[in-house]
Amino acid sequence: MASHLETELGKLKNIIIKIGSLAESQVSEAVKSLLSEPGSENKELKKTESKIDKLDLKIDDICQSVFALQQPVASDLRFIMSAMQMSNEIERIGDLSISIIKLTKSIKEKHELISKFDIAEITSEVEMVTLKTNQCFENLDESIIEDIFRLNTSIKTKSATAIENIISEMKNNSKTVVSGTHLILALKHIERISDHCTNIAESVYFMINAKTIKHEKFTDKK
Amino acid sequence: MHKIESKNVNFNYGEFQALHDISMSMKENTVTALIGPSGCGKSTYLRLLNRMNDLIDNTHMTGSILIDGVDIYERQTNVDDLRKNVGMVFQKPNPFPKTIYENVAYGLRVNGITDKNEIEERVVTSIEQVALWDEVKDKLKKSAFELSGGQQQRLCIARALAIQPSVLLMDEPTSALDPISTAKVEELIYELKNKYTIVIVTHNMQQAGRVSDNTAFFYMGKLIEYDKTKTIFTKPTIKQTEDYITGRFG
Repeated sequence: MASHLETELGKLKNIIIKIGSLAESQVSEAVKSLLSEPGSENKELKKTESKIDKLDLKIDDICQSVFALQQPVASDLRFIMSAMQMSNEIERIGDLSISIIKLTKSIKEKHELISKFDIAEITSEVEMVTLKTNQCFENLDESIIEDIFRLNTSIKTKSATAIENIISEMKNNSKTVVSGTHLILALKHIERISDHCTNIAESVYFMINAKTIKHEKFTDKK
Repeated sequence: MHKIESKNVNFNYGEFQALHDISMSMKENTVTALIGPSGCGKSTYLRLLNRMNDLIDNTHMTGSILIDGVDIYERQTNVDDLRKNVGMVFQKPNPFPKTIYENVAYGLRVNGITDKNEIEERVVTSIEQVALWDEVKDKLKKSAFELSGGQQQRLCIARALAIQPSVLLMDEPTSALDPISTAKVEELIYELKNKYTIVIVTHNMQQAGRVSDNTAFFYMGKLIEYDKTKTIFTKPTIKQTEDYITGRFG
């Protein structure tokens, strides 16, 4: 028979998978919104956001119970510590996606700017990095971690170039200042989403290897 | 209706008052842990639930304890029937000097069951319930003393279950066991609550956290705080409870 602790940890894992997949869908909505495709109704987004918030609280609650009542050690302890960390990261991914959707509403001539600055490639990578992050946790597959870090670097590099180009455009054409500023903010949010994904990947690495790789370059990490 | 209900229970060993005005109730199919420092009255209270303290001279109790709504201290209460309904497991495993099979079957025979098939069925079921069957099925005729301490304790639990009680009292059931056996007994307690109402006295607060739904903190014969185990271990309302569970007591 599975122990009570194992049952609780299983429950926790399922909730994290669920909240991760909800955040992934929020990122997709943010991307759709940015690429001018019709996104979900606000009502639907708010519903998902509220589900994420509730699950985030549920994770905190289970973690508190497990810490107080079950005294987890070794891999169980690492899992609980990581679960708390990951839940925060995932909740932030959801919030940032909502912020992107709000920002994109005030970007005029969105389509033109998006194609001009190669934003589509960045958005495709941010969708990929969230998908891979969820897979990495669900399967505890550390082989995916490297991909997540590579995508994060790529997103940062492409985003920096796009931001530089947007600033130049804003200097040359003052009419684009408002849209450009919002687009820069949206790109910064995308970078943050990607950062949260790498933080989750670091937690998965810690869970599997009992080694902290925070604040290190991934190449030095292993 | 609560499974067990105590109302204003006071208990004296001679002049010494060991319990003061204890009122608490326990729902069916729950595990209630009684915690507190030595001499706080938790074992005394536990033993009141199947009138084990009746066996001690010069004791006196006031108040009432109801099980299934019936006052177990009423004159017409048949104490033997009460103890069949309220089984008990003690600190140290205390198997009879008999075979593994006989340890469980003995209580059934004492209680007038003579049908061999029924005895066998109940013995097997009880040993299975305590997750011991796979470990002993090939040595049922061997002495119970050949089992490890943890196995002996689970056998004692099986012995108590064979009588088909509805309440199980456990007085520090794992204090004499190693960590692996302790974990097995704790998992067993968690499983058994689906069928039984369990009250457990433990000195091990972590154990109370792991196995129980509700926890009662006793101190100097008084019930200081009684609440859901999660509440007791995350946000107790009484400072004495907080001090005790965080090890800052005294």
